Amino acid sequence: MDSLEDGPQVQVKFITQQRQFAIPETAIQTPARLRRYGLSQIINLVLQNEGEKQRPFDFLIDGEFLRTSLAEYLEEKGMSTENLLTVEYVESMLPPTPLSSYEHDDWVSAVKAHRQGGFLTGSYDNHVRLWNKQAECTQVMTGHSGAVKTVQWLTCDGDSGTLLSGALDRSILAWEYNQSDNSHSILYECRGHTGGVESIAVNAAGDRFASGSADASIKLWTTTVPTVSDHIEEVTETRKKRKTVKEDRILKAPIANFSAHTGPVSAVVFNPTSSDTLYSAGWDHSVRVWDVENHVNLTTKNCEKVVHCLDYSALSGLLASGHADPVIRLWDPRSEDSSVVKQTLSGHQNWVSTVSWSPTSSYMLASGSYDGLIKVWDIRAKGALYTLSHGKGSKKVFSIDWSDEILLSGGEDNQMKIHKMQDMSGRDEA
Amino acid sequence: MPARPTRKAAAAAKPAPVAPNKAAAPAPKSRKRTVDEAKEESDDEFGEVAIDMNSDDEDASEGDDEDEDEDAEEFPEEEGQDMSAADLDEDDEEEEDSEDSYMDGDSIADSQEENEDDDDDIEEDSDDEEGRDFDALMREDDIDPNFGHNLNEPLPEESDYNPIKRQYPEIDPSYDSDSSTEENENTVGNIPMEWYDEYPHIGYDIDGKKIMRPATGDELDKFLSTMDDPDSWLSAHNYKEGQDVKLTAEELDIIRRLEGNRIPDADYNPYEDQVEFFSSKTEIMPLSAAPEPKRRFIPSKHEAKRIMKIVRAIREGRIVPRKSGYVPPKPKYYNLWNDSEDKPREEHVMHITAPKMKLPTHDESYNPPAEYLPTEEEIKEWNEMDKEDRPKNYLPQKYNALRNVPGYGQFIQERFERCLDLYLAPRVRKNRLNIDPESLIPKLPSPRDLQPFPTRLAIEYLGHEGRVRSISVDPSGLWLASGSDDKTVRVWEVSTGRCMATYHVDELVTSVVWGPNKDIAVLAVSCGYKVGLILPEKLFSPELTLHSEEYLKAGFANVAATDANAKATWKQPTPAEYEQGIRVWIHLQKPVKQVTWHRKGDYFSTVAPDANNSAVLIHQLTKHQTQQPFKKTKGAVQRVMFHPTKPMFFVATQRYVRQYNLQRQELVKTMMTGVKWVSSLDVHPAGDNLIIGSYDKRLCWFDLDLSSKPYKTLRYHTQAIRSVAYHKRYPLFASCADDGHVQIFHGMVYNDLLQNPLIVPVKILKDVHKRVDALGALCVEWHPNQPWLISSGADHTIKLFS
Repeated sequence: MDSLEDGPQVQVKFITQQRQFAIPETAIQTPARLRRYGLSQIINLVLQNEGEKQRPFDFLIDGEFLRTSLAEYLEEKGMSTENLLTVEYVESMLPPTPLSSYEHDDWVSAVKAHRQGGFLTGSYDNHVRLWNKQAECTQVMTGHSGAVKTVQWLTCDGDSGTLLSGALDRSILAWEYNQSDNSHSILYECRGHTGGVESIAVNAAGDRFASGSADASIKLWTTTVPTVSDHIEEVTETRKKRKTVKEDRILKAPIANFSAHTGPVSAVVFNPTSSDTLYSAGWDHSVRVWDVENHVNLTTKNCEKVVHCLDYSALSGLLASGHADPVIRLWDPRSEDSSVVKQTLSGHQNWVSTVSWSPTSSYMLASGSYDGLIKVWDIRAKGALYTLSHGKGSKKVFSIDWSDEILLSGGEDNQMKIHKMQDMSGRDEA
Repeated sequence: MPARPTRKAAAAAKPAPVAPNKAAAPAPKSRKRTVDEAKEESDDEFGEVAIDMNSDDEDASEGDDEDEDEDAEEFPEEEGQDMSAADLDEDDEEEEDSEDSYMDGDSIADSQEENEDDDDDIEEDSDDEEGRDFDALMREDDIDPNFGHNLNEPLPEESDYNPIKRQYPEIDPSYDSDSSTEENENTVGNIPMEWYDEYPHIGYDIDGKKIMRPATGDELDKFLSTMDDPDSWLSAHNYKEGQDVKLTAEELDIIRRLEGNRIPDADYNPYEDQVEFFSSKTEIMPLSAAPEPKRRFIPSKHEAKRIMKIVRAIREGRIVPRKSGYVPPKPKYYNLWNDSEDKPREEHVMHITAPKMKLPTHDESYNPPAEYLPTEEEIKEWNEMDKEDRPKNYLPQKYNALRNVPGYGQFIQERFERCLDLYLAPRVRKNRLNIDPESLIPKLPSPRDLQPFPTRLAIEYLGHEGRVRSISVDPSGLWLASGSDDKTVRVWEVSTGRCMATYHVDELVTSVVWGPNKDIAVLAVSCGYKVGLILPEKLFSPELTLHSEEYLKAGFANVAATDANAKATWKQPTPAEYEQGIRVWIHLQKPVKQVTWHRKGDYFSTVAPDANNSAVLIHQLTKHQTQQPFKKTKGAVQRVMFHPTKPMFFVATQRYVRQYNLQRQELVKTMMTGVKWVSSLDVHPAGDNLIIGSYDKRLCWFDLDLSSKPYKTLRYHTQAIRSVAYHKRYPLFASCADDGHVQIFHGMVYNDLLQNPLIVPVKILKDVHKRVDALGALCVEWHPNQPWLISSGADHTIKLFS
């Protein structure tokens, strides 16, 4: 520590919101030239963590990550070393580690993980695949006549459950599966869209789901399994082949249609805390908030770019959207102002095709882009925390899903890739 | 000192002629006499006083000069010392300097009137004139005895040195030596004196006071005076003074000489020895040794000729002596000292003032600072240099005083050179336009303010194995169709780059176009001699597919009999082709290059440039009919286009674009493109503007309301332009060329008819497509709803830029 005494010193008070790492809130004379690693060592020293127990910490000053030395930070902000500096520290997120990747027959357009169940993937080979927790492909569900664009869990309890898939064939299929006997069946087919289904969202209660389609409409459906087909005006007399296929399916009609969008709807997301609130985004450059119960478009937020994806974080209450430009925009859905972007995150090189908030942290999100990269962001930091390559070359990433400790991604290179993420639950206790 | 009292008396007598009481005094017979009388009188009256006045001073000055009044004495004392010094000089040294001779004069004067000089200087000015009067009298008196002496005076001897030089009598430098100040001058000038006959005075003196006529005696007095005065015959009457003047000996001598017809000047010797410059003395360096030429002795013929010419002219009356009224032109004088108004000459219009010479700098000073002085080496170098090479024609030199500066030897030379410069250097009046170059550049908005426009590559559509000649995006903006030289038509998902369908045909695909009607999904494809209509099944909803299918097939029922001579025949596809999605084939007589739809999606037009008069055909989808709109086509048709809103039709031939009204079947307008070969054409969605691209690298924008000439011609590409396209919704247009670049322009068309379209180049997408076999980017197309540009190229790729 003798060498640490050199150079200017600054008085630092370390605070944290993670109680297990709390240290006494007294000012500590710290050399100004220390960077993150040195400060982390100090905290570990105070906590008397040694050897294996040592943990890396990140340091926040005024809600911003310290990425330089203290002296450089003070100089940049024009602050004096005489002042007492309050530094918040959080345990660092460990870099994601790639676990494995799984080959598909075609482009992987949709991935979804479930806490209990496993993973779902939708592919351009029209199949929906079900993977168990050991990452074995247990079921290949055949039924769509177009590329599967989106998959969504409906229910899942252990080995059995129900799920939804939307495809370019304009239909949404509800599936029932049972892992124990390796069986699956189509519960019903949702008909009504005239364009490919781009996105499906299930509300928190699990009794409704919404779908966004390229025909610029959002349709709302119930999850109850009907016994008889709803009456749908269907063109059946032309194509014999299709008629035979459809005969054995129970058809379902939407209970509501939201048609405020003027371009293809690319993403729909339910607010997990209130089942009545639906967020949607589309190619008409708008992000819309809907009151599902009253079928009212509450607010519309506009930007200049096509919105490709949307995700809502219940922890931070923010919407993140990916666009036809390399920027991720964060929106506060509660604000009434129509064009206020709360924050932008730039770092990608191409369109951002998919975003996913961390389920455990209110600051972390992941994004996938057409430049073939997955980036993990902390919205307090200026740049991306980690950049992961999805696959070989710069093949497009179409879908990612961040669930508890894993990050799923699927893309143009026919791979579903799994990254292990650190669980950050309990970090942001207020 | 006998002179002093008399002088004072003269001073007292001076006002005598003016004072009226003096006029009553007995008139003197002559001037001399008057003075004498005045002398006697003044002696009586003022003599004592005069002596008293001066006696103290006189004594003091005699005793000790230093006691004299300080103001007055200093100068005379010095003079006196100088004179004495000069005297000594003269005594000691015999040299004759100019200065010395001058001093000589003084010394002579001194010797003559030593005392007078001293006194004169001390006395006041008013006394001087009185002194002069007296002196004049004294001199006259002096001359008299020597009257004859002057005449007989021998001529001064001529020295050998200068034989012509004559010795004149030395000038007496006393105050009365100047005759002009001798007396009360009559100032009336040279006028007939009889004008004053009736007056008591004869004129005015210098102070403006009347000069009274001196008393003149009658004839008897005159006679008596002549009797009394033996010299009276020597006097002459001075009319101006009104009195007789006694002639001096010199004057008498002159008169005598004139009477004797001799030269008046006694000293002039008319018979001096001749100095024969050219004969007597032999020059060491003779002026000329040439013998006198003969012509010197012959009268000049040339002069005789000229004289005769004049003589003849006078005789014939050609030369007229001056007419009576002739007034010689007055010489014009210029006011030299007034430099503002009086200009010697009006400046000519083209007059250019000579450039001013440079002002002298430090090194031209006579006393320049030390650092300007050249060093030895510099001087040496300067001296060695050729005169023309020298940077300056002088070397700085230092003089410690201005008076030491010698005359400038180069002055004439320098003046000459300056004049030569001015004369030889052409000075041309240049009319300079004082325009800020920045103001000539049109004020264009910054591209940043014109967003959105595509800037970066987003998606590549890979799969074709040949040049992609044509691309088209369907009206919904989700599907992209492309036709390639690999004999396939592909349909792509725009947002992902996924190839959704591939249709194989048997010829190179030259053109693919989606039907513009959203309710009918149809893709028109031209390949070889055929045009195919494709219904991409899976991409659209069953309702739309069914509707389209019916729409496409409806015509087959209509056409009962097919004409053998028809320009086009509509045919059913084979079952295999039907399975693929092809619904209709139209066979034409010549290879089809382009297909373009009418905005409603029922009619479409094809271009087969080789088919002469039937190059342009218009097909109706619902009826499966083909019409030939033009019986004759002028030139080789390159492109055709339907007007987006009106029943108009544009036909681009190699050099012209013609606008036809389809309803009235007439030519509306012909646009002169000014290019050599039109390659592509697009009409603005509002219909009032169109752009063409040409193989000679030009892109022309036509404002249809404005003129038949291009509103703007843009030459930004380095190779032939292959395709141009307007965006349907955004104010954007683009062009692509064989150089592989894609240029994006902001092209704003205003609703206001008075405002011209605003064209701003906003982005150059460089090397979008690799050049393969001298072909680069082949086709550009805009996304119908988004500001996305899609381009296809000879490198088999299709690229989307956002």
